[in-house]
Amino acid sequence: MRRTLAITALLLSALTLATACGEDEAPTPGGTEPEVIDVVFEGDTVSPSGERVEVSRGQEVQLAITADAPGEIHVHSDPEQELEYAEGTTTVTIQGIDQPGTVDVESHDLDKVIVQLEVS
Amino acid sequence: MAADGVTLAHGLGGAKDLPISPELAIAGATAALVISFTVLAVAWRTPRYDAATSGRPAPALITAVVESAGWHLAWRVVGFAIFLYAAMAAVFGEDLAINPVLGIFYVWWWVGLVPLSLLFGPVWKAISPVRTINAGFARLSGSDPERGLFEYPAWLGHWPASVGLFAFVWLELVYPYSTELGPVRLWCAAYVAVMLVGGALFGNVFYERADPFEVYSTLVSRLSVWGRRGDLLVVRSPLANLDTTPVRPGLVAVVAVLFGSTAFDSFADSSRWVRFKQSSSVSPYLLDNLALLGFCVGVGVIFAVGCVATGLGDDLRRVDLPNQFAHSIVPIIVGYIAAHYLSYLVEVGWQTLIYASDPFSNGSNWFGTADLPLFTWLSYHPTTLANIKVIAVVLGHVLGVIAAHERAVRILPPRHQLTGQLPLLFAMIAFTAGGLYLLFAA
Repeated sequence: MRRTLAITALLLSALTLATACGEDEAPTPGGTEPEVIDVVFEGDTVSPSGERVEVSRGQEVQLAITADAPGEIHVHSDPEQELEYAEGTTTVTIQGIDQPGTVDVESHDLDKVIVQLEVS
Repeated sequence: MAADGVTLAHGLGGAKDLPISPELAIAGATAALVISFTVLAVAWRTPRYDAATSGRPAPALITAVVESAGWHLAWRVVGFAIFLYAAMAAVFGEDLAINPVLGIFYVWWWVGLVPLSLLFGPVWKAISPVRTINAGFARLSGSDPERGLFEYPAWLGHWPASVGLFAFVWLELVYPYSTELGPVRLWCAAYVAVMLVGGALFGNVFYERADPFEVYSTLVSRLSVWGRRGDLLVVRSPLANLDTTPVRPGLVAVVAVLFGSTAFDSFADSSRWVRFKQSSSVSPYLLDNLALLGFCVGVGVIFAVGCVATGLGDDLRRVDLPNQFAHSIVPIIVGYIAAHYLSYLVEVGWQTLIYASDPFSNGSNWFGTADLPLFTWLSYHPTTLANIKVIAVVLGHVLGVIAAHERAVRILPPRHQLTGQLPLLFAMIAFTAGGLYLLFAA
């Protein structure tokens, strides 16, 4: 009786897990529009500040920057990307990232995460 | 990684894993819940593992090799060679992210020890350079490395190891300049210094109880199939082996730091924490410090409360219970570490092998590994990775619950054996569900 119970419970939970386990999807074909994110630097603050943004593999990300001082942005992809912007308005482009993962886009000068790109 | 080595307090490695899907997290938590109560309902009612009798003697050939002087010496040489190599890269290498010492320190040493110990037993004990140096001193002075000037105080137990482990995770996860060479060098120098003084004062027992890496490695090795019955090398089921973990003061602190810090690492990457930190007027460094400490202490307190909330017989003191049950958290830690660090270990560990050929960052190729391609298969199969993660967490949970059940039927009086386990079971479910939530949210 106990054994039957145990086996039933184990099978049930294994089944729950198995149905939730997905399979890897093939990458979506390119040609998607660039994701545009408005970024505002003001003093020692930046907006957005640590938000998640979902992008597709290989999709370009354009940062439309309004800044009160020039600075540098680091994209912690592999390989890393470094982007410079000027005072006033600048648009910089993050090259499409092919490897799935969560990539921090940081302001080098403020030591703050602007967005986390969820590449999938 | 940037060629100029600027990594901006970002830890080692570039992209992080994608979050697991909510369906998978919920399914994992549900499975953990169902299995927990199934174990409680149907598992054995009398103790099953006995350290004095469990296990079969290892095959004669393996025993002969493992007990031979040459085997011991070979692994001491391997450990010391890697130690000297790392020290060389740390002292004479450039302060760049491509200096292999960072990957050796954070990935090979810290994360790599876990699978190695799981497969081969107490690996750090066999290769530990501080043990080797201590043995060398003893040989020179004609003394016994097992003995020091003093007896290691029993009440101290694993407390120093928990402090050492906390010092490591603090450097890795909180300290803003963790990927610069200076701090890593200083940390290692302090570690070696403390270990040598401790070894001189208390002999080899100091390494067994107080070396953070040896305590960690040996604790994980209790989940391997390799054990000792007296001096005899035996092969045991991992659960029977785990049950032989010596109960010492501070064991709870060790497991609390290990689990709490890994959970904090997940949490620190979450968008919610980043947003909170960056919008707060309090310094983010202070907040990270408080959060890391909070996670470790929180895990310890939840676990301790789960252990002591039971009826007792006369033969046991309530304050002894958390350490009596602490080993049962080890599978949960290992499962969660596997989930959290698998891609990091494989991919950044592989990258470190590539960097290892060029310790002085001058383009040389010492071992012929410099031109190997990056290994990114896991990252390119995020769904497979997520499935492995959840299975590892659930498997760890199951083993943990069974280990706690065995201990409960051994030490608790019969009328409290089932009810006494319930609070601990809830604590474990909280850890597992919390861990899955962090894998989903971070």
